[in-house]
Amino acid sequence: MRPRILLITALAFVLGACAAREEKPVAAKPDSLTVDQVLFTPVAAESLSTVIRPGDSKVTLVNVWATWCEPCREEFPGLVKLARTYEHDGLRVVFVSADFTEALPEARTFLARQGVDWPTWYKTGGDQAFIDALDSKWTGALPGTFVYDAQGKLRDSWEGKADYAKLEATVRPLLSLPDTTSKESRS
Amino acid sequence: MKNTHAALLAASLVLVSGAPVSADPLALGTKAPMATTKMKTAAGKDVTIADVKGEKGTLVVFTCNACPWAKKWEERIVKLGNEAGAKGIGMIAINSNDPKVNAEDGYDVMKTRAKERGMKFAYAYDATSGVAKAFGATRTPEAFLFDASGKLVYHGTIDDNADDAAAVKEAYLNDAVNAVSAGKAVAVSETKALGCGIKFRNKSAS
Repeated sequence: MRPRILLITALAFVLGACAAREEKPVAAKPDSLTVDQVLFTPVAAESLSTVIRPGDSKVTLVNVWATWCEPCREEFPGLVKLARTYEHDGLRVVFVSADFTEALPEARTFLARQGVDWPTWYKTGGDQAFIDALDSKWTGALPGTFVYDAQGKLRDSWEGKADYAKLEATVRPLLSLPDTTSKESRS
Repeated sequence: MKNTHAALLAASLVLVSGAPVSADPLALGTKAPMATTKMKTAAGKDVTIADVKGEKGTLVVFTCNACPWAKKWEERIVKLGNEAGAKGIGMIAINSNDPKVNAEDGYDVMKTRAKERGMKFAYAYDATSGVAKAFGATRTPEAFLFDASGKLVYHGTIDDNADDAAAVKEAYLNDAVNAVSAGKAVAVSETKALGCGIKFRNKSAS
């Protein structure tokens, strides 16, 4: 009897975990990441240029976010969807967490839940140099989003969250895609 | 009803979406805007920026209750504010955040926080977010220091290390306050730091 109860409990737990997984954004891959699989490394102002200049990407979109930042969390699934939708067109989405040290485990968990299975970073070092390395006009308010072309030249930037339509409208011309029709709606 | 909510939500999303980097902040040398706009303080009084003007200068700090950066810097801001009076600098902290985004930024929490932290300066509630908009402030905390003649002489962050007060190398705001208090020029007049975007109310402040 007991093993059966244990089995049922275990099944309920697994089903519960599956249900929780379904809360992931639309574009996330079906098999969720574990926290340990998240590639999350420090980056300071001095090494930001290597992140911004990726070499083989036509467009690099850098998004500076933090776990406690509500607009950041709200726009995050859209950015993940954008990354997945346009990765083969030459788009690279780079997330940089601005969380304080004590919040980094939570940031890692958030990235896992969002299904971010490509390298991401967290900011270290001084703020001023970090801000200026991304965009000297940025005030430092979060979220901050910066779009660079293949040469590493800043082509667009904004503070505050953006909806998916804005994200697409920004990256499509830079990816030399012919029209403004959503890639999803064409397929 | 659902449609109305959806329409309101859609409208609010449009209004808060992706502002360009960045809004024009108040330029150095200019005077404080909306200096006679009344705001309710945590102590329950009406106050204006003009009311708190010090003999040697005025310090306006946009901050809030909920933002982790504001919290990290809070003790330092309170210490600076509490000591500013003796230096001839009037201080006002202003919370411009819409508490609908985060209830912790509501007026009642301001009252508690001001008491807990022993704030001896005005902690005011910018009920329309209009004062922050007029200053071109974008984040919390963000400081604006005016000299005796009312001209902006420092705009920026508190210091160079929000995370660790003991590791601060450049106490920008404190240095600026001391310079203004001594009638000297501010050495570093513009600085930046990461911070929480101000949660502006959607309605115009005017």
